[in-house]
Amino acid sequence: MAITRRQFIKQSAGVASVGMFLPRVWLGESQAQTPMGAANRKMVVIQLIGGNDGLNTVIPYTNSRYYSLRPSLAFKQSELKDDMDRSMLISSDLALNPAMKEIKELYDEGKVAIINGVGYSQPSLSHFLSMDVWHTANLAGAGGIGWLGKYADAALIEKDGISAASIGGSLPKSLFASKSVIPSIQDFSLYNFITDPGHPEDYQNQLDAFTAASSRSFEPGAFRSAINMTAMDAVQGAQQLQAAVASYSSRVAYPENNPLAAALKMAAQILITMPEAALLYVMLGSFDTHSDQIDHRSGQPNRLAGQHSSLIKWLSQAVKAFYEDLNQHGLADDVLIMEWSEFGRRPEENASLGTDHGTANSMFVIGNPVRGGLYGEAPSLNALDLDSAGNVKFTVDFRSVYATILDRWLQGDSQSILGEKFENIGFLG
Amino acid sequence: MADFTYDDAAHLLRRAGFGGSPQEIEETTALGRDGAVDRLINFAQIDNGALEAVIRASFDLSNPDDITRFNREEIQRWWLTRMVLTKRQFEEKLTLFWHNHFATAASKVDERFMFVQNQTLRIHALDRFDALLLKIARDPAMLIWLDGITNVRSNPNENWARELQELFSMGITDVVTGEQNYTEGDVKEIARAFTGWTISPPARTDPNRFNFQFVVDPNQHDSALKTVYGQTANFSGEDIVALISARRSTARFIARKFFEFFAYPLSASSTDRATIEKFADVYVASDHSIKALARAIFTSDEFFSARARFALVKSPIEVVVGSIRMLGASYNPGSIQRDASSILPAVCAFLNQEPFNPPDVAGWRPNLAWINTATMLNRFTFADLLASSRSPDPTAPGLSLTHEQLKRLTKGNAKKTVNSFLSVLGPLEVDSSTVKKLREYLQKDATGRIVGFSPDDPTIDKKVRGLVHLIMCLTEFQVC
Repeated sequence: MAITRRQFIKQSAGVASVGMFLPRVWLGESQAQTPMGAANRKMVVIQLIGGNDGLNTVIPYTNSRYYSLRPSLAFKQSELKDDMDRSMLISSDLALNPAMKEIKELYDEGKVAIINGVGYSQPSLSHFLSMDVWHTANLAGAGGIGWLGKYADAALIEKDGISAASIGGSLPKSLFASKSVIPSIQDFSLYNFITDPGHPEDYQNQLDAFTAASSRSFEPGAFRSAINMTAMDAVQGAQQLQAAVASYSSRVAYPENNPLAAALKMAAQILITMPEAALLYVMLGSFDTHSDQIDHRSGQPNRLAGQHSSLIKWLSQAVKAFYEDLNQHGLADDVLIMEWSEFGRRPEENASLGTDHGTANSMFVIGNPVRGGLYGEAPSLNALDLDSAGNVKFTVDFRSVYATILDRWLQGDSQSILGEKFENIGFLG
Repeated sequence: MADFTYDDAAHLLRRAGFGGSPQEIEETTALGRDGAVDRLINFAQIDNGALEAVIRASFDLSNPDDITRFNREEIQRWWLTRMVLTKRQFEEKLTLFWHNHFATAASKVDERFMFVQNQTLRIHALDRFDALLLKIARDPAMLIWLDGITNVRSNPNENWARELQELFSMGITDVVTGEQNYTEGDVKEIARAFTGWTISPPARTDPNRFNFQFVVDPNQHDSALKTVYGQTANFSGEDIVALISARRSTARFIARKFFEFFAYPLSASSTDRATIEKFADVYVASDHSIKALARAIFTSDEFFSARARFALVKSPIEVVVGSIRMLGASYNPGSIQRDASSILPAVCAFLNQEPFNPPDVAGWRPNLAWINTATMLNRFTFADLLASSRSPDPTAPGLSLTHEQLKRLTKGNAKKTVNSFLSVLGPLEVDSSTVKKLREYLQKDATGRIVGFSPDDPTIDKKVRGLVHLIMCLTEFQVC
């Protein structure tokens, strides 16, 4: 966890130039104090923003309704193979999108759990409200604290250093915490407190003045208080991060021009070089495929290319490279990957070669700790089973996926974090 | 009429604009509250000839097919140049407000349409809300962004119909009563009302390559009966815009959005609900006039209350444009192609607020959404960039904070110098112990010993630049 005000004040007392050397002290401390519970158990969350089309991710290839609702978008059975002609079928009625060959390989190795029909009751078709529901694990989308922020407040608060982080220039609501600042890291090389290059001899004076100013207290709860704590944590954490990630090296080549791969590579660098890192969060956008989700440049719909296919390919290739990197560094047994999106998409295609907002969706949980296979139940596409907007009904409450991970992997207390007890879905035993 | 102080005028300029230089603040103070607000709002009366001359000399955005002169960075450079150099601060700030409200992004929409949309927003920024909303409903960029151009009667696309209600007019639930504003059925029916709305490209011979025309394709428009908000009629898209603009929920939502962007964040308390109702009433009584709403808010006691002071987190654009304007730093956009300066688009991208490219249809989230460790460090890096932007030739393209500009603001001793810069960069109210630390910073040598401050040229170049950096890193500077 990023440094809390209390710890910072305690540790900086009597020290003139805190920023330059204290991080090593913290590192030492964090290794000395064994954090409770979830030692060596780490999680990486991948959020697909915009509403991933679950029906074209986990494809019900024997369902005649899938084909009648999606005359242009539905994958024909003959298309369900990868570019090396290997089958994408994962069961007698489900197949993965042909762009997901790497995840299919992991699935075949038993490292992928796919939970079908995940959603919640009275689903919102608003991106923003539905994201809030998932972020906060509150069905009204209310409350300013995220479910992972609550976990971090409970389980990671005593860890020093960067035990949780979001990769990117924003902090997802899942990581909003009440007791701690979780850092966002967009670019390692720029994650630093920089002063006038014309006067390097003045650096320490500036850092001291900044540190003094950011050690103040502001009225709790006000913007200024949050800004001040974040600023302080940023500068302190930066020193530590710079030192750590510089030691990363890897033989894994992450795919180029793949923003998710770039983010997961940063996550890997942190996980590999900072032993206290336990919770990382990455995001990939552009899943809101209301139009042109498949390619049609030739005049004919081509499901094997286009926006959705490209995004899913990014996901698959990035996850595989990340997994390989962790594996080569001996961390594959320690890391669980959870993927989610705020909703799936409408079973019936629109006239724009796209799909409007939907409801229940498939979730992927990936890693060595997982008991691979299919969980939950793919929702019925029969007309009578769809809601008035034409969307599917959920079969698995998303909070039971959270609960399974909290209880069975992170050794957290799902009931206190989620407010209720949810069933164990079983993908972690 | 309450006294209208220098601090009041500075507050008004930070909010209705990006912040004033000491001279602008003094001129604004002299006008009194109503006079100052009227001058800002009636911006068409302010001579902006100097800006327009710079724009003419620095840009050629006449042909969107000429990608060396017309591209994303160029239109960003164009708008940011306007923000930095305009004398009509409220015009640009309000255009930014509407850009964020009707958030459309170059990530999906060709820059030619983004550029046209920006002019539409600027021209109609103070119209009746109905008029602005209809312009946006017919706007090529929006028709592309939310898939209006492929919304046809055979199987309508709901993208626009949903965001029109959720984000652009009334919200999912009423912001005062909490009641649900519309159903999924309304989304579907409104999508039908807008079917066939599309654009046609300019004729091959038309020299104006921006000249895309809004058209309704009768073959794709669903002209059958629709039921919207419980009423059944053959609603057109125009009818829906009028229906939405007249709803009390829309009055409340727009009043709140405007108030929270310019004044302070509102809670669910009865006092704050009453504030929303008060300004929603202005919207209704003025026949949905945005100008009347703006005037009512900026002249209100709420706007000048203690609660409003420094109650908003600056967006990155406010940080960048505001600091340049407040410090009176030099900015020259350069001239067409040859030596254009990309500094402003670059720093705004670095700070995660690229104009013309908000992250999604909900726009940039306000206040604490701007604050995380990555963005704080980036803000500090920008502060350093500006503070250390020495230029041997301040008339050269780019951004510079010259020695002379710093020298003018530097006083005879450390205390007065700190106060001078705190005043110019806000004016910021900072506690005495922090002021003391800043004073000591000015007086420290490279070993950290306090040796005193004399405002000679080498000290200004090192210490006063350092002071600007440090003040821009203060928590107090991140709010406005």
